[in-house]
Parts: sequence; structure tokens; C-alpha cells
Amino acid sequence: MPEFSVIIGPQHPALKEPESFTFWVDGEDVVRTQVRIGYAHKGIEKAAESRTYIQNIPLIERICGICNVAHTVCYTQNVEYLYERKIPRRAEFIRTIIEELNRIHSHLLWIGIAGHEIGFDTLLMYVWRDREVVMDMIEAITGNRVSTALMTIGGVTRDIQPELVAKLRKGLDILEKRTEYYEKVVANESTVLVRTRGIGVLTQAEAIKHCAVGPTLRASGVRSDIRADDPYAAHDEVPFKVITTDMCDLFGRVVVRVYETIESIRQVRYCLDHLPNGPIRIRLPNTPPRGESVSRVEAPRGEDIHYVRSDGTDRPSRYKVRAPTLGNLAALVEMLTSKGDYKVRVADIPIVLAGIDPCMCCMDRTARFVEPSKGKEWVWTWSQLKKYAKER
Amino acid sequence: MLASEIRELLGGRVLDIKVQRTRSIFVTVKAEDYKDSIRRLAEKYGITHISTMTGADSGQTIDVMPHLSYGGMKITVKAAVPKVAAEIDTLTDIFPGAVMYEREVHDLFGVGFKGHPDLERLVLSDDWPRDVYPLRKEYKVIRPEPIRKA
Amino acid sequence: MAMERELLRHIFRKAVTLRYPFKDKEKVHIPSNFRGKIAFYRNRCIGCSMCFRVCPAEVIEMIDDEKGKRPMFYLDRCTHCAQCEDVCPTKAIELTAQYESAGTDRSQMILK
Repeated sequence: MPEFSVIIGPQHPALKEPESFTFWVDGEDVVRTQVRIGYAHKGIEKAAESRTYIQNIPLIERICGICNVAHTVCYTQNVEYLYERKIPRRAEFIRTIIEELNRIHSHLLWIGIAGHEIGFDTLLMYVWRDREVVMDMIEAITGNRVSTALMTIGGVTRDIQPELVAKLRKGLDILEKRTEYYEKVVANESTVLVRTRGIGVLTQAEAIKHCAVGPTLRASGVRSDIRADDPYAAHDEVPFKVITTDMCDLFGRVVVRVYETIESIRQVRYCLDHLPNGPIRIRLPNTPPRGESVSRVEAPRGEDIHYVRSDGTDRPSRYKVRAPTLGNLAALVEMLTSKGDYKVRVADIPIVLAGIDPCMCCMDRTARFVEPSKGKEWVWTWSQLKKYAKER
Repeated sequence: MLASEIRELLGGRVLDIKVQRTRSIFVTVKAEDYKDSIRRLAEKYGITHISTMTGADSGQTIDVMPHLSYGGMKITVKAAVPKVAAEIDTLTDIFPGAVMYEREVHDLFGVGFKGHPDLERLVLSDDWPRDVYPLRKEYKVIRPEPIRKA
Repeated sequence: MAMERELLRHIFRKAVTLRYPFKDKEKVHIPSNFRGKIAFYRNRCIGCSMCFRVCPAEVIEMIDDEKGKRPMFYLDRCTHCAQCEDVCPTKAIELTAQYESAGTDRSQMILK
């Protein structure tokens, strides 16, 4: 039977963010996949070179809306490693609290999206109503529901007052009860089971070979979590379990994320119980010493790694970000290829894509039209671009 | 100490080793010894995970830096290639997960990877001119004045 | 079906949606430390220009008036990151809880 190719993207109702996939299909089975990204390029790496370290914090925060805490924690940690100074312990605990609240928020959002991709919109509506509890908690601490702006170089900017702690504990109790309810729903609901078991299989050997990260890797039986292997902030003290399963398919990823949400709720409770006293920030000079540094955090989607190089001025000489979704891209192509008895059907494509929890805006942040100032957009025609290229 | 073990393993290939802090080591090698050093490190320590590959413009050369990770340890191997006719060996036969990262460095810095299976554009658009590399320092950012409606 | 009891319980409850801005404006709960519109207290400003140096979106322009140097804010560019409030040594800038900050005329959105 002759093969023909189906192109999904860049704009498509099944995708939340723009990317282009070309699938070569044979009947209903997908035989080969090719990926093209770059539609949400924002020029952040080049823009970060022309701004000071303090001005870069909101820029790095806007790499991604949902994982903004992971990126700012990684950035501020990276620059603090250049100074070789440690921040106060209370600031590390507050960073951990906000980071885990962000993880709860991201995983609850993902469970709703996964339900939506299967067609189970009831789950979407109820989970997103419970997500409001987490957003109210984040708003009470930081002043905004999603974009937190709490980190600065040297610590955090706002403190958690004792009156607030009681309100946060109440919110955590509600969240724990609801998440345990959703755990029972996904384990028993036949819609979810039929659409996710045996779909999007990534064996352990393939996951290691293609350098997958995050829940995608942990659902294939590999115990790898940056919070346990390479601890940062308060994770060397806060106890938690690394959640892995050996199911290697989409259902495993759902289970890993639900249990990680429950672990995060317990971690926030521990941090609130053991919050040390003390200052919340130290003042650091504007220019860090020369050098380079690498820092990693466990974002909700996987391992997020940043690299900075400083040449002694108050602007970074090179700043590199590798968001976790790019690490899962090679594994995604593997998951979407039929081989032997394992067949991928066209109808499974949206849920497999959603299964790695893609965040295309995180993935595409390297340079395209380098226009760092906000509020002004400009589009070049082909002839203008050629003229510009000739001038260089 | 891991740094002295690495120096013993790689011998004369090492130009510099710097322990930046706990669990983070930077190893500088020459471009000719790049693939051999990484293969030896991967075999000795059982490294299977490459986190990413960074390119950085340092004046006359471009630094190609793969970040390897095993357990909680991060080893960054640095090799400098000249800017004109920049070429270095690919790592995709040792780490198949490095395909996307090498494509990105090729796209934005213009470094060729010998032996890469699919060196296509990754992040720039299809009609971007072929020999303009945005992340090199020669490519200057034009930052127009903000429009102030006063 | 695993969610039947939950669904049955919700048949007799009201919806959780608030009909803002038509009916339920007073039910919208904003915490006191919300990062909303900028408020500026001229009598506390000493003209050090630190706010100008940390703003990422070029919102602030330093001008001179009869008492010396002071910032002027182009509020349509503001991203509400609160770095200016954070760095000001005399607490002359404050981000209030006013969340309705959209406008139709850019020249009306300048804080002098």
C-alpha cells in the first residue's frame, strides 16, 4: 500500500502550541515521524546578552508561563554560584515552597489537559476548578496567580507571614483530599484506561538511549530526579520519594504525575512546619566575577539546565537555556513510530503528544528576530532580510 | 577526587580542569581529542545521559561544550573550534540523544558536525539566509527606541 | 464510571463561575499584596535612578521637575514585575491592588 503523509501543525486544534509534525501513515498506523520546531522563537538567549543580570530575571521568567518558577530558580542559582555565596536558609525554604506549589499547579493542569485530549472533559473541568485553590495560595504569597516574580539574585523578595501559614495549610488539606480522589478516578475509570494503556510505549533502554528527562523517563523505570541526585535549595533536607513505575506507557506517565502531586503537597507541608527564622536575602554587587557556571533544577516537565558565562561586566556574555521538552523530543519521535507488534494509530497522536507534557514556548527560546524591547513588533520581507544579510 | 581521576584517565589530552563547585567539573581539551576523550569518559564511568550542548562565541573561536551527567555529577567538556570553517566530530554514535542539540548549535553558530545523520535547521525559519549565524557576536542586536506617546 | 457520585452531588449546587464584570464585581477577592497598578509618592523620591536601572521593560524615564530628578512611568509597557518597588530605598514606588489597568489611549496611561 503506498504511504502518504499527514501534516499536523503548526496551527491545529489538537495542539496547544505551534509545532509541525509530518506523519507518514500506512492506513491507520503511523510509520515514520518528522518534527519541525521553532515557531515560537523569541530570541531570549541573544536578548539576555544585552541586559543586566537584574533586568534578565523577568525575561527568563517569561520563557514559560507554567514553569516560570523553575527557570527563575535556575537562573538566580546560577548567578549565585558565580559569586560563590550562599543565600540564607529561609530563602531556600521559601524557594522550595513556591517551586513545589508550581509543580502541583502544573501537574493538575496537565491531568486536565490529558483528560481533554482523550475527550474526557468532565475531568478537565473538575481538576481545573481545584487548580484554583493552588492559584489562590500562590497569589497570597507572591501577588500574582501564575507569574510569581519572587526570586532575585541573593534570595527572595517577599516573606511568608505567620498569619498566612494557617491559610496555606488549609489549602493543602483540600488539595490532598482532591488529588487522592483523582488518583482513584484515573485508576478505575475505563475511559482513561482504554485510551492510555499500551499507548505511547517507550521502553527503558530506549528512554536511556534517547536521553529522555522528567516523568517520561521515570515512567519507564529509571530512578532519575534532580532533586534527589543533585540537590539544590532545600531539597537536601526535605524528605520525599522519587516516583517511578515500570509501565513504560502513557498510563505510567499519568500515574507518575498524580503521585508526584501528592509528594509535593507533603513537601510543602514539611517546609511550612520547619521554616527557619532569619533574613530572606543578601545584597550582592552588580557585577559577578569572571567565570562560568552550570545549574540544573527539576522543572515539572523534567531536567532544566542553564549555563552562564560572565566576563566581568554587569551583563552576561553568554546565557544558555535548555528547557526539558527539547530533551524529550528525540524520545517522542521514537514513541510515534510503529515497529513490529507495536502500532501507533493516528487517533492516538494527540494524547501521545500531550503525554510528554510539551511546552513549546520553553523549547523554542533561542534567537530568531532579535527584538528584545516589548511592545514593538516588526516583520521583515524577504528582500529586506536579504539586504540586511548582505550588509553584514 | 574525581578531577585527579579524570586527569589520570585522559593524560595529555587535558588542557585544563576546573572544579567549579561540588558536583560540577569543567574539562578543556583540544578539538582533535574531543571525541576520544568523551568516549573514554563514557566508557569509564558508564555515562549515558547528555544534558545539552552549549556553543559560546569567544572572539576568534567558538567553544563547543557538551554537558554530560551521571548520578548527580555534571562534567562539561569544552573544545574550541576556529570560527572560519568550524567543524568538529559528532557525538551521536556515543549518545543518540544528542541529535537535537547538535542541530541547534549548527543552526545558530554555524559549527559543522562530521557524521551527523540529519543536520537540518532546527529553530530558525526556512527562509533565514544560510550564512547568517545569530548567536555569534558579529550579529548585532538592533534595539530601537521605545515609542513614547507623551 | 468513577465520577458518578461527584457529578450527582453537583447537580443541586450553584456554578462556581463569577459573572465578572457584569454582576459579581464585589465578589472578586484580591489579596492586599497583589502586584497591580503603580503608585508613586513624589515627596519620598530622592532621584537616585535605581528604578530606571532595574526596569526590564523600559517603563521608566527620568525627568527633571522643580524638586529635582524623578521617574515618569509609561504604564502601558509595565509587566508588574515589582523590581522597581523592591529596589527603591525610600519606598516611593508602590504596586497597588488595582487590577483594572487596561486603557484605549496610550497618552492617558502615563503616570506623572
